[in-house]
Amino acid sequence: MPCDDACVDVTAPAPTRARARLPLRRPEGERWLGGVAAGLAAHLELPVAMVRVAFVVLAPLAGTGLVLYAFWWLTVPPGDPRDAAARERPSALTRLARRPDDDGAETGRHRRWPVTDIALGGLLLVVAAALVAVRSGRLQAAWLLPALVLLAGLTLAWGQLDSMQRGRLRSRAGGRTPVSVLRLLGGVVLAGVGVLLLVGQGTGRGIDAMTLLQAALASLAVLAGVALVLAPWWLRLVRELGDERAARARESERADIAAHLHDSVLQTLALIRARADDPGEVARMARAQERELREWLYSDRPAPGTSLAAALRAVVAEVEDSRSGPGGEAVAIDSVVVGDRVPDPDTAALLQATREALVNAVVHGRPPVSLYLECGDELVEVFVRDRGDGFDPDAISQDRFGVRESIIGRIRRRGGTAEVVSRPGRGTEVHLTVRVEQPAQSDPVEQSEQAQRSEGEA
Amino acid sequence: MSQDARNDEGVGDGPVEVVLVDDHHLFRTGVRASLDDRVRVVGEAATVDEAVRVVHALRPPVVLLDVHLPGGDGGGGAEVIRSCADLAGTTKFLALSVSDAAEDVVAVIRAGARGYVTKAIDGPALVDAVRQVAGGDAVFSPRLAGFVLDAFGTSAGDIATGDDELDRLSAREREVMRLIARGYTYREVAGELFISVKTVETHVSAVLRKLQLSNRHELTRWAAARRLL
Repeated sequence: MPCDDACVDVTAPAPTRARARLPLRRPEGERWLGGVAAGLAAHLELPVAMVRVAFVVLAPLAGTGLVLYAFWWLTVPPGDPRDAAARERPSALTRLARRPDDDGAETGRHRRWPVTDIALGGLLLVVAAALVAVRSGRLQAAWLLPALVLLAGLTLAWGQLDSMQRGRLRSRAGGRTPVSVLRLLGGVVLAGVGVLLLVGQGTGRGIDAMTLLQAALASLAVLAGVALVLAPWWLRLVRELGDERAARARESERADIAAHLHDSVLQTLALIRARADDPGEVARMARAQERELREWLYSDRPAPGTSLAAALRAVVAEVEDSRSGPGGEAVAIDSVVVGDRVPDPDTAALLQATREALVNAVVHGRPPVSLYLECGDELVEVFVRDRGDGFDPDAISQDRFGVRESIIGRIRRRGGTAEVVSRPGRGTEVHLTVRVEQPAQSDPVEQSEQAQRSEGEA
Repeated sequence: MSQDARNDEGVGDGPVEVVLVDDHHLFRTGVRASLDDRVRVVGEAATVDEAVRVVHALRPPVVLLDVHLPGGDGGGGAEVIRSCADLAGTTKFLALSVSDAAEDVVAVIRAGARGYVTKAIDGPALVDAVRQVAGGDAVFSPRLAGFVLDAFGTSAGDIATGDDELDRLSAREREVMRLIARGYTYREVAGELFISVKTVETHVSAVLRKLQLSNRHELTRWAAARRLL
């Protein structure tokens, strides 16, 4: 049997799969010094004592153990590895789909300062003050040029603070831009030249090559020292920022879900309890709530007007909510969608016809009602099927406006095809197709991005 | 879904023994009540670890497995299937989930489940599905067929020419998938295509195998777009 060897094939590569490794963290609880050994032990699944001994043994060998320990102490974030592992689980396995991340855009807006404007104003003031000072003879003109060069360099470097916030989204996606690096470099060079000129003035002997070299070396040494001292602090700051951001995203997601649960699920439950004696109505409300919750938890929620699949879901929802079967019972529509595309007038007509076919199947047919939509490269096809006895499409009288006009006519006017196949005991199936121009996209994410882009260009 | 194809050969006449794995006690009770005497529940489990233990102890022919389970490494139903890989010859898994998210479906199928049904399924249909799985067949709901078509593409260039191609469906397999997605039972598919029910089952098993083994570029991209990878 083909299925049997399929089972073996799939599962053979991992017969007794090892547990996934815990991420590298420095646990707070079982640490002696920085928690590096404990964290490593948890990650490598070794006894802690062994890791500690390894560090001690490695220490005399040119200080390898010490350097490694210090390196990990700096770079490995503290925390419980087991908690971290739990947090890193994919959303697919934690019941809730991840929400689209849209809070990044507004955070930059609150804290934007007109840094460039302020710096420019400051620069003008300084220049004016300097000119006044020179005129009144309190300042020697020789000091002016170096100071101005230094200021220009600082402005260039600080100016990127502002542009960084403007380009926050872009820089988050692609890292730093070449422009910002150029700015920083230019700023540093200008500032350096300014400082050197100042030093040259200060020594009173003009610009002497030896003095300049010594000054440059000294300042570099000081800079390196400061950088070494501040590096851990900076590292921690960056890491805390990331943690903070993740925590805020989780928090807002939780608040979102709580609000939604309160708004709709609790209300529906209350309604269901109040109308417990009407099974049809209860089934309908439960179905509507289920649909809404599913949409919330599992679908990508594309922007309105960009997804035919979303439009179809709305049509299905409307029919399920507003129509009942022949006996007054709620009818669920089992819908399957393959592919997606941006709606156009042709697919709008197709949706209208689909709606009529669904109403027909729910009201006159017999459940279960199945709906299948396929977006191909050239065709969009819809099948609506119920298990009723059906009707003979040729025998539909002219006065039965429903099927003839609202389904068949609507599609044929758009150059599509519509046929109704009805066989006793096999149910009824309505098959609709319309031809479409541009190829379909099976990726709704990409597609909604493109739609937004074209909106932006317009 | 109502698979009325009762293909019980190789299963025998007695009830099929199943282990029920779901973390909701209420749901387990409901499923037990909805099953008839063609299926007997011999064990239950609520977490990944418990499920692995119970399945290894009882070695049932079929395990009804929820996709979302607490415990273990957080891998849910797929992790249970992988941990029970040594039972691959004797025990088959039928995934049962309230979720219709693509990544859930694909995760358990690729781990080795023989079918996927949603929890909205009614009792008799579930019993049929269990017996089909026990008999070695794959169980495809319309939605799963839709996912397959979505993942393998529906344009003319996506048709396989040889039998050994893992990355594309053959024209026949695609026809079968389309009919299942349209709500046809295996029997109705067979009638529509003038082939036997057994042939339909062979096609479905072949598709399941492709879904499990294919490294198709689009399958990866498709999964990534839905945040599976």
